Amino acid sequence: MTEIIDQHQEGKRDVTFRVFRFNPQVDSKPYFDDYTISAERGITVLRSLNYIKEHVDATLSFRAFCQAGICGSCGMRVNGISKLACTSQVWDELDKCREPGIIRVEPLRSLPMIKDLIVDMDPLVDKMTRYSNWVDSTMPLDEMGKKEFLISEEEFQQYDKATDCILCASCVSECSILRANKEYVSPAVLLKSYRMNVDSRDGIHDLRLAELVKDHGVWDCTHCYRCQESCVKSIPIMEAIHAIREDALEKRGPRDTSGAKHAEAFMEDIEKKGKLVEATLPIRTNGVVWTLRNLLPMAMKMIVKRRTPPPPPLVKSAKGIKIFRAMFREMTEHVKQDHLKSHKK
Amino acid sequence: MKPFDIVIVGGGGAGLYAAMEAMKTNPALNIAVLSKVYPNRSHTSAAQGGANAALANKAKDDTVEMHIFDTIKGSDYLADQDAVEVLCSEAPKIIRELENIGTPWSRMEDNTIAQRPFGGAGRPRCCYCADKTGHTILQTLYEQCLRKGVLFFNEYFALNLSVHGSRSRGLIAMNMKSGKVEAFPAKTVIFATGGYAKMYWNRSSNAAGNTGDGQAIAYRAGIPMKDMEFVQFHPTGLRKSGLLVTEGARGEGGYLINKDGERFMARYAKEKMELGPRDLVSRSIETEILEGRGFDSPAGKYIHLDLRHLGADLIKSRLPQIREMSLNFEGVDPIEEPIPIRPTAHYSMGGIDTDNFGRTVMDGVYAAGECACVSVHGANRLGGNSLLDILVFGRIAGHTAAEEAGKFEPGSISEEELRESVDDIRSRMQPSGHYERYGALREELGQTLALNVGIFRESSLLHKGIHDIGELKDRFKKVRVFDSSDVFNTNLQQVLELQNMLDLAETVAVGALAREESRGSHTRIDFPVRDDEKWHKHTLATLVDGKATPGEKPVTMGRYELQERTY
Repeated sequence: MTEIIDQHQEGKRDVTFRVFRFNPQVDSKPYFDDYTISAERGITVLRSLNYIKEHVDATLSFRAFCQAGICGSCGMRVNGISKLACTSQVWDELDKCREPGIIRVEPLRSLPMIKDLIVDMDPLVDKMTRYSNWVDSTMPLDEMGKKEFLISEEEFQQYDKATDCILCASCVSECSILRANKEYVSPAVLLKSYRMNVDSRDGIHDLRLAELVKDHGVWDCTHCYRCQESCVKSIPIMEAIHAIREDALEKRGPRDTSGAKHAEAFMEDIEKKGKLVEATLPIRTNGVVWTLRNLLPMAMKMIVKRRTPPPPPLVKSAKGIKIFRAMFREMTEHVKQDHLKSHKK
Repeated sequence: MKPFDIVIVGGGGAGLYAAMEAMKTNPALNIAVLSKVYPNRSHTSAAQGGANAALANKAKDDTVEMHIFDTIKGSDYLADQDAVEVLCSEAPKIIRELENIGTPWSRMEDNTIAQRPFGGAGRPRCCYCADKTGHTILQTLYEQCLRKGVLFFNEYFALNLSVHGSRSRGLIAMNMKSGKVEAFPAKTVIFATGGYAKMYWNRSSNAAGNTGDGQAIAYRAGIPMKDMEFVQFHPTGLRKSGLLVTEGARGEGGYLINKDGERFMARYAKEKMELGPRDLVSRSIETEILEGRGFDSPAGKYIHLDLRHLGADLIKSRLPQIREMSLNFEGVDPIEEPIPIRPTAHYSMGGIDTDNFGRTVMDGVYAAGECACVSVHGANRLGGNSLLDILVFGRIAGHTAAEEAGKFEPGSISEEELRESVDDIRSRMQPSGHYERYGALREELGQTLALNVGIFRESSLLHKGIHDIGELKDRFKKVRVFDSSDVFNTNLQQVLELQNMLDLAETVAVGALAREESRGSHTRIDFPVRDDEKWHKHTLATLVDGKATPGEKPVTMGRYELQERTY
């Protein structure tokens, strides 16, 4: 099948790429094609796809540009994980296959399909625009280019890692919230928003924050950490999300939005009892009216099934609560320092 | 579609700066940016090093004047001195402007923009953001364009200029998502499509899309190309992909070893060894390979960059990126094994002939960045001057087009013209008479260029190269587009890109044959010295009756007399 003849000291391995196919012009639904090629050590998934396109099936469609892990074009799911095809070694992937010798290649999730491995990036760009993912400079127009802002190394460190983002959308594809709600701001856009908000040259911090705390915004994240785990540039995205939340609580107060109230209620319970008082959590987060309107049917079901949480007076403090409280306070003190540090290289 | 005042082709540093500046110059203008990728994917993002500007943050005695001299000397005196003056005197302003709008420059202790030394520069004047300078500049420009509401046509592949008489009426482009060929009638068009070094294919460090689309379109429209023979080679590209292993590897003490186990640089630069200047090390590696002392592999001949003696600790702490690259792209861990490398085509000094304002010879058509040749790099570009070039001249081209758009009539593109483009595309999908595979031709083009129009050039080799390119062009007519679908037809796009590379390859080879001297990146074995009397001038290549026809243009001199270029 392949004319790559190995005169080199290194061996070859047969590998089957099971590739997601979909052409909206002719296919009513997606399917998979198998391509078996011989890959020597050092060959990347992208080079294999290029090989397949050139020698086996010219209709196989995917994006690729720099082929060096910096442009972010070739984001796709390889063996179920969103990553860059150009920096993924075939031999490494062979060790991760569910079926031996078969590497599954699929498009990123949570973005509209266009063809085969190509998805539409416009929704991500639209969100970058909605959340003002740019520095709105405080330098007056007629002063532009005349002098520098003086920026401390410490401030640079705060956004250094965040500016590594290449918008490959691996985090978008892995995000568990986006899979349920396409309107969710998305991890990449939260990261960029964080980066702009800690930049002292920017003049619209409050406006951006006001947008971030609205529905589908920063409070919708469920801390699954999949964005951070899949980030091809190892950026601590979750730390950025936490930082935006802390910033929101600090600047806008704990009664600002249901998200903030939810966080506040959590903190209150944990500090007081070392565990959650679940029965009143929805009321404290969203108010009585909302809770009655939205959760009453579920509450009834829970009563029938005897799965109701205990009423507040019956929630006793956890064992060792005094030591726990001391630890809790100490941790609260350190949180801010910690997320600053994690964004340093 | 409503006629545009300005259509910008390309969304990298030059294109985005042009868009921003044009909007600033005249907010009432109707401006569009077309890009065959999302702008943030553009190859500007791959520039690691930085951008030169005499800010004098690091060396207090640095001046614009010194920057000008370094650039002219680096160009082997082929740069136009008035253009270099524009480049260097605009530099501090443009770097500060980028800083003002959010580029995260690394900082000095006094909180000003950090600067570091770079090859060929008399003072440390290269401004940087870690090793991701181009990436962060591109992000900043894209963010600002989104802020200003620039109208983007992403994933549109430019096909041709619509030319009537002596001027352009706009651009014809294909919407990749729908496959539709669309008209962009426009008063002015700015080409900012990047370089053409990818024509060396696997022997190039460039992105797959650096196929010289803008240059090829302009060339087919009769606009001359300038100094196309000047292509910069970087000594250490990875064997399989051509991707760069940065100079840091040799800086930290890496050895270059041939198949006989020799540190062969002793033959070429006894004192400096592996740390000789870029062009010298490239020529040395190429000599070893040509004389049969390279290693053999299916991916071609190569030599070893050996870091093993540096030890695991140093490699991990000081060269982590190089280790990651060899692992990712060669599957080789430099702690255990030497890295297979060979010289790689890195940058194209030549391009669309423009004046200092970005104008081409055709009314209403402009060019900027690596796509253009002003010329500020002459025969050899200095590190840190390429990012600067795209910023300064991207901005100037945007400004000029915005000022001059009013002079031109709004263009119109006929249905018939569009139909011609569609017919051309459709005919390539016909099975009868079409059987060649673009992949094979692309590979052969890269090979013949590397062998015959590569680091070492010589009359008979160049004739062979020109002959090969001609044959490939004939065979190209029989290339088949196998994918006949409308939606995102990357097969079609790659075939059209190959056509652009073939058209430009001829100009590179013809220019290299014409220039009977050695200057900067252009080394002729049969004419080993610089010949100022005959060749202190630019070469031009214009398409006349389907052939690259050579011409010439004088070099603009200024304060600096011709001198020998020694370091």
